[in-house]
Amino acid sequence: MRQLAIPDRTARGGMGDPATARARRTDDVVVGDDIVRERLSARVVHWTVALTFFVCLFTGLPIWTPYLGFLGSLFGGLHVCRVLHPWSGIAFAAASVLMFVQWVSQMKLTPADREFLTPGGLLRYFQYRNDDAEVGKYNGGQKLLFWAAALGTAGLLVSGVVMWLPQPVFGQWLREASYLVHDAAFSLFFAMIIGHIYLGTAAEPGTFRSMIRGTVTKSWARLHHPRWYREVTGEEPRR
Amino acid sequence: MNADALEVRQSSASVWGSKTELRNLKVVSKLIDTSTCIGCKACEVACQEWNDLHIVPTTQTGTYQTMPGLDANYWNLIQFREQEIGPDFAWLLRKDGCMHCGDPGCLKACPAPGAIVQYQNGIVDVNSDACIGCRMCETGCPFDIPRYSEQTGKMSKCTLCVDRGQVGLEPACVKSCPTGCLEFGDKTELVARANVRVEQLKQNGFAKAALYDPPGVGGTTVITILAHGDHPEWYGLPKDPQVPTGVRFWKSVLRPLGALAIAASLFTMVGHYLAMGPKKPKDGAEKPQGEGRP
Repeated sequence: MRQLAIPDRTARGGMGDPATARARRTDDVVVGDDIVRERLSARVVHWTVALTFFVCLFTGLPIWTPYLGFLGSLFGGLHVCRVLHPWSGIAFAAASVLMFVQWVSQMKLTPADREFLTPGGLLRYFQYRNDDAEVGKYNGGQKLLFWAAALGTAGLLVSGVVMWLPQPVFGQWLREASYLVHDAAFSLFFAMIIGHIYLGTAAEPGTFRSMIRGTVTKSWARLHHPRWYREVTGEEPRR
Repeated sequence: MNADALEVRQSSASVWGSKTELRNLKVVSKLIDTSTCIGCKACEVACQEWNDLHIVPTTQTGTYQTMPGLDANYWNLIQFREQEIGPDFAWLLRKDGCMHCGDPGCLKACPAPGAIVQYQNGIVDVNSDACIGCRMCETGCPFDIPRYSEQTGKMSKCTLCVDRGQVGLEPACVKSCPTGCLEFGDKTELVARANVRVEQLKQNGFAKAALYDPPGVGGTTVITILAHGDHPEWYGLPKDPQVPTGVRFWKSVLRPLGALAIAASLFTMVGHYLAMGPKKPKDGAEKPQGEGRP
């Protein structure tokens, strides 16, 4: 069990405590009643990806359909969106590469994850009837999100570059294919991110703080990621 | 022709769908008779002059052709093509420029509301104020016409002298043509006249002479008489131009499906929250998750 010598963070002055702040730079350690789930660097990378994603999203949506044309005003009009979108796309792809490198070693699908990702497994998960005993730090759905995001980002980047450069560079056929790939990848990506945001906030209280301050409560860990809880604390979770 | 001509029939990225037609107005046309073109390039000069286009540096490619291709500052180009036909040889001259399609692929591909419009009289025009220079119209066009201007960051192409037409003048190129191979007027009348000329050509040894007004793009406002009408590709024209399948599928199938997927995700998540609420520990002995400051 990796226990940092901070028995009670509230007694030690809570958030301003330098020892706690240090602990938040490491993950998978217990700090009082909390467990650090995402270290500082992971959180910075995640929010860099998220921020660049939203710039891409809000500059892309008004170009995608005139019904969302009003979003162009956020940046000063469609003309500005057209200039910002490809560059924010490059930034998003670059940040995504960092995120990929950071998490890829933890995203290997286990047999339990594959079971989780079957239609029946997903249904049980959304009905809160799933048996999470073997769920480690990331569940099957989170791993799926990781791989789908990696694939989607690659598709968006490649097709985006083709769309960005003049037609004679890649030719008519690749241009047409790129519009289709960019559109399809975006739609699925955005649909998936809506689910990601929902599960990380409203559906599972206590999750969002793991990406803000890095910590989750022990009871949160016991509920959602029992095997990870065992690995970090050495305790058998109460069922 | 008068200001009626500036009523818009179709506009890019319109939320009303493509047609916003109120009245049926006369559709204009420019007839190009390639069989009487002498390659004098008066039309090129007139176009540059009237539209105040810059002089563009060119490259010598070993032909009489002024430019290798169209340019953001060069909208009207006589192509000089050499074609071997069996033992014979033909020097084919064709005036290249926007065809002003009845069903414009550029307008279909354009994501900027009002950046490409088709007027009631059939002219397809780029509205520079609204154009965002995304170059998607390059892909929509089956004739490879729109060009991106590095100077303005916008697309440019032949306007069929929409500014002259408004005050009852013919386009500058037509005005300058010394052989009468360019004509401008009502499309029905010009098609009838063109068919007479095609018959003439057939009687004079060009059995395959034809009028190029391709139905795949809803006909074109600029119609072309070709002595070798069975081989439009000899003139640098596509045989059966269409709005590209990818562009049509993208706009009319893939985009609505994508919107549906996004909406479905949103509604599923809202529905899930209403039905299931947040996930909490089963025993209920714990404090609700996430309470207190992180």
